[in-house]
Amino acid sequence: MSGGAKKERVPRHKIPEQAAKERVKNFTEVNLGYTEETAIAEAERCIQCKNAKCVTGCPVEIDIPGFIKLIAEKKFDEAAKKIKEDNGLPAVCGRVCPQEDQCEGLCILGIKHEPVAIGNLERFVADYERENKLVEKPEVPAQTGKKVAVVGAGPAGLTCAGDLAKMGHKVTVFEALHVEGGVLVYGIPEFRLPKSILKEEVDFVKSLGVEIHTNFLVGKTETIQEMLEGEYDAVFIANGAGLPMFMNIPGENLNGVYSSNEYLTRSNLMKAYAFPEYDTPIMKGKNVAVVGGGNTAMDSVRTAKRLGAERAMIIYRRSREEMPARVEEIHHAEEEGIEFHLLTNPLEYIGDENGWVKKVRSIKMELGEPDSSGRRRPVPIEGSEFEMDVDVVVVAIGTQSNPLIQQTTPDLPVNKWGYIEADEDTGKTNMKGVWAGGDIVTGGATVILAMGAGKRAARSIHEYLMNGK
Amino acid sequence: MEQFKSSDDLLDFAIKNEEKAADLYEELAGKAKNAATKKFWEDLKEEEIKHKNKLVELKAGKTLDAISGKIMDLKIADYLPEQEVTDTADYQQALIFAMQMEKAEFKLYKDLAKQTDDAELKETLKILAQEEAKHKLQLEIEYDEYVLQEG
Repeated sequence: MSGGAKKERVPRHKIPEQAAKERVKNFTEVNLGYTEETAIAEAERCIQCKNAKCVTGCPVEIDIPGFIKLIAEKKFDEAAKKIKEDNGLPAVCGRVCPQEDQCEGLCILGIKHEPVAIGNLERFVADYERENKLVEKPEVPAQTGKKVAVVGAGPAGLTCAGDLAKMGHKVTVFEALHVEGGVLVYGIPEFRLPKSILKEEVDFVKSLGVEIHTNFLVGKTETIQEMLEGEYDAVFIANGAGLPMFMNIPGENLNGVYSSNEYLTRSNLMKAYAFPEYDTPIMKGKNVAVVGGGNTAMDSVRTAKRLGAERAMIIYRRSREEMPARVEEIHHAEEEGIEFHLLTNPLEYIGDENGWVKKVRSIKMELGEPDSSGRRRPVPIEGSEFEMDVDVVVVAIGTQSNPLIQQTTPDLPVNKWGYIEADEDTGKTNMKGVWAGGDIVTGGATVILAMGAGKRAARSIHEYLMNGK
Repeated sequence: MEQFKSSDDLLDFAIKNEEKAADLYEELAGKAKNAATKKFWEDLKEEEIKHKNKLVELKAGKTLDAISGKIMDLKIADYLPEQEVTDTADYQQALIFAMQMEKAEFKLYKDLAKQTDDAELKETLKILAQEEAKHKLQLEIEYDEYVLQEG
């Protein structure tokens, strides 16, 4: 590609951020986004590979060189439309996708230099289109007369619903909560993904003709079987993995011990972060310990800091290198003064006489020899137990499937963890007319992987509805 | 603590021990309301039957191969409170129970090995303890990966 070598020498453009000292006092977004000039300069770093590896790293296969070229040509609106051909939630993905492990991880520039900031560019064009009110209502194709029910208005469900609507099917999404977005709205804080941005992307899906019924608990309000026997020709189950895991250690029932799901739901969905406008009860501890090392743990601990914690701490049983959270999130947490207690694992939460948590007893860990998978697993160091004062604990070790749909749909095959068994390429289950995708199949994963599953399921459902296959 | 006069005595004890474990898992599988947990108990039952068959072969004269290398102990079961099982146990509770069962078996064989001066018996008991440690490690790895996902 012409001029490639010269372009490589330009360093990657950093995205401006709110200063750490300021941002710990508010819930507004940390990253501020590129200016037009920076976006163009960053886009010009792309060497436009013919066989672009970045595209293979994207679960929804966005034409990455294509949209970046349009940015470099200052055709921001066209760039946004190019992304939307494959991704209905670009402003979301530009903010929360782990690009370093996906598209950017495969960028050829990353071998010797830093990869093109694909995520920042995606975010820029999505914001540009929205802020300049350039979002166009897409043409709705002729209706096929087929009806599809989608269970869950999270990333997988919204993607599948949007794609099916674009194919001319009548789609109704059933959401258990009172707001659409699933984990995007209850799990991700305002400072990483503003609700207003998510709402506009959901509105875009609705503009395709998708109807969304909130406060509708599939499995209780209506079962999958009833949907199929009623008006729907197919059902896509994408209700996520919203049931929190606990460690089964003493003291988990004490007051002040939350699951990250509850803690973040109170802050995000129920808007405790917007006090005093919303007076949602949430414990604002002085000493808050968050157990876990993933993005949910980082979101929880940074929320605690913003809610006023003097000490907001991570307790994580491995070392920093093994933390599954995005590097950017760990870096932001460190800048914000979060304490990291690494190679440490809680053994017990100790309460006061009124049943409120007051201490956590932990043990130091060391990494053992690599096992057959090559992974070094943490092992407790006998006699290294110690206690720390806490008044709030947030357990963010992971999630599992909510069993409601599986229990009320006996024909639906599930694995030992209660996740639905579905074909990896199509999302098809062994139950006729039923597809599943996203976290309810894979267990807790990334937004974009869930979207990819929604996309593949939509193709398969379309094939089934039109050709009976 | 059990005392054994001969290898055969010891093996009879170990065979009964594995049978008891298989029976327990069968009973749990029969009661389990959760399909996934039921399957887990059934798999464990099969595993215990395999152990038992190995011991029967050993008694019939076949030699037992020692497991090479040190078996890692993640000590997950050591730091969890004793898990009771009910018919509504989920997979996590079932895993904890099974890890603790395997640990108890490991400890039993290890303690028995300490009790005897018979070198051949001692070696057999150590191998049996290793078998249990290996199985416990498999369960602990499963727990390490799927329960402690680290969100």
